[in-house]
Amino acid sequence: MSEETVDVLIVGSGHSGGMAAKILTEKGISCLMLNAGPVAEVHKDTEVKPVYALPFRGFKQPGILPHVFQSNEFNANTWADEKENPYTYDAARPYNWVRVRLFGGRSLFWSRQSFRLSDYEFKARSHDGYGDDWPIALADLASYYSRVEEIFRVSGHADGLGQYPDGNFVADNSPWTGSMQRMVDAGKGMGIAVCKARSSMGVDGLASSVNLLLPDALRTGRLRAIPNVVVRALSVDRNTGLVNEAHFVDRLSRREMSLKARVVVLAAGTLESTRLLLNSGLANSSGVLGHYLIDQIYGAGIACSVPEARDGRAGSGLMGGSALVPRFRNIATKAGDFIRGYALNLYSSNGAMDPRHFAAYGSELETRLASYYGSGFSAGIMGEVLARFENHVSIAKTVVDAWDIPALHIETRYTDNEFNMARDAVDTASAMAEEAGFDVLTKNYDPNPPGYSIHELGTCRMGDDPKTSVLNKWNQSHDIKNLFVVDGAAFVSGGWQNPTMTILALAMRSAEYLADQMRMGNL
Amino acid sequence: MRRRDFVKAIVAASAAARSLGAEQSSQAAAGHTLPPAGPVAPGPVPWMRGLMEVKPLELSTLVADAVAETEVHFFNPSQTAALGRLCALLMPPLNGYPGALDAGTPEFLDFLISVSPEEPQQMYLEGLAWLDSEAHRMFFMDFSKTSDIQADALIRPWLRAWMNDHPPTEPHARFVNLAHHDIRTATVNSQAWSERSQAEGQLATGVDLYWYPVDPDVHRAIDRPPRPIDRPPGRR
Repeated sequence: MSEETVDVLIVGSGHSGGMAAKILTEKGISCLMLNAGPVAEVHKDTEVKPVYALPFRGFKQPGILPHVFQSNEFNANTWADEKENPYTYDAARPYNWVRVRLFGGRSLFWSRQSFRLSDYEFKARSHDGYGDDWPIALADLASYYSRVEEIFRVSGHADGLGQYPDGNFVADNSPWTGSMQRMVDAGKGMGIAVCKARSSMGVDGLASSVNLLLPDALRTGRLRAIPNVVVRALSVDRNTGLVNEAHFVDRLSRREMSLKARVVVLAAGTLESTRLLLNSGLANSSGVLGHYLIDQIYGAGIACSVPEARDGRAGSGLMGGSALVPRFRNIATKAGDFIRGYALNLYSSNGAMDPRHFAAYGSELETRLASYYGSGFSAGIMGEVLARFENHVSIAKTVVDAWDIPALHIETRYTDNEFNMARDAVDTASAMAEEAGFDVLTKNYDPNPPGYSIHELGTCRMGDDPKTSVLNKWNQSHDIKNLFVVDGAAFVSGGWQNPTMTILALAMRSAEYLADQMRMGNL
Repeated sequence: MRRRDFVKAIVAASAAARSLGAEQSSQAAAGHTLPPAGPVAPGPVPWMRGLMEVKPLELSTLVADAVAETEVHFFNPSQTAALGRLCALLMPPLNGYPGALDAGTPEFLDFLISVSPEEPQQMYLEGLAWLDSEAHRMFFMDFSKTSDIQADALIRPWLRAWMNDHPPTEPHARFVNLAHHDIRTATVNSQAWSERSQAEGQLATGVDLYWYPVDPDVHRAIDRPPRPIDRPPGRR
């Protein structure tokens, strides 16, 4: 029987857990990483197949993964199975909780969009009076962002916009394609900047914990890892009040086990970290643990066609490429019926059109598809969802997962602020497209259900006041000083930006602080 | 585990077993024995012998659709006839590519809908009944008997342009547009379509990286409903 006490126990292996492991081990600290799922190996677990050879001919297996709109029959086995990992919600207010439990977590599958938050997010209350400021500003995080951007090889262009902070980019000086230039010009006339997208290039196209972070940690010889163990609860030493033990279940055998640790770092993904704390009854003297669940509005947008590109007339240079319209509402002026703002993702396509964009069938549809081939242009929203106390998670009263661990109940909904923002985004995108001379084929004003963005944030928010926040500005529990939460749970507000770079920068900063505290003997 | 790792592990296990055998012999000579490490196959030859060295079978496997038909059982005969007519109308053979009927789409959808949740089942059942009822009201015949012009008169008013994840919400438009999408997907994803595409010298369509279940939990109780909490959270 092992009597070992590990120095730092890290729960989770995605971007945040990987970054914590890299920083801590490089500073000489031994870490043990627990992951709820197995290690995937592409050469063993995959095969190139034609869609007709799949069991459901490319349709998702009915009834499986009803909340994972991103799944398809090729990748269905990579997502967390909702029957093994159930959660509850009010039927009138569904939530799409999208999870990956493979080693590396959701860092294996993400869009690579790589943005910094600005002080319009960090200091949002100071700007518009709503919600709370973060206890840190962009200046506190800027150097960490730079280091993260270097590791992830973020391509981008410096635009000099306060709401779209520049970073340590692999310079993207490529010219716009003709269609995108027309949107740039249309935006200019409306006072809306169209900028180069910013994206993690990673290595060989992969920008994951498993290829950019964990290999560095493993090279130190100070990282050990156990896959296929599901953490049930943490417990504390009654004398010191410090967390000192983790209780977990072997995923396959159901054997219950425990181990001791000097420090625990939670990086299980926003809602799994919070669920673990709720199930453990820890770190909630403030009463806000589980509250202020945030995500981002996705799904509203438009689909267009560029007339000059139809019937094979595009030639080279007219179509293709992507761009980003960073937030422009409520910066210098005030929108009428919502606060905060949204960004637009713009895509110009050289390929086939989606047949759903035409109200036609049969030969008429085929003729349209052939004519419109290579002329597609689309815009989609990424909008801020306000942090609200009432949007929260709690432990479900009646449901457990496959390992008898109580499941999460999620209660969240969008309000007029989000719906009005989505409407403005679609109308604005339509106006820009029409100004650019594009035909708008269809538009959708309705956001996808909350959670769809896979950007769930908050529920362990950071702050200076232990009465109103769970973590301090170092991602450290106010209540339990040897407990850290380094994933998206720490967010105070979410902005419109893909949060990955911010999660990574916060995890890096927190891990360095933790290492210093351990070196000084404070932990 | 990679195959070569697997082989290494097996070789190591064999060596360990030989070592254990030698140890057991010496222990037997010393007057005491250990129990066998595992169950022994009832025969002189180990059951797994030779499998490590076997070369992969060069077998070109068939997809059943290439030679067999799906047996339909979900829709009744009149619903099946209406679905077949809808398939023929919305996705006819064009430009040498197979139509929905050539691709076995009605039969495939019978299977797909039969294993689907209640909502899509109801949508199809009500939608097909509505088509028949409208065909009788307007043309005094089953939908399956309508001409292309008559069927178009029923379908066209409900066609919509729409975006992914956001199909029309009005029931008739929802059925027509979702069924159209299903019929098109099942047809384009068929082997017949793929073969035609390749015959035209185009790259194979619909080819991608398929993920098998990764380290699946074989102990899981399949389709077990979520269990109520019968004990407080925390350690047992």
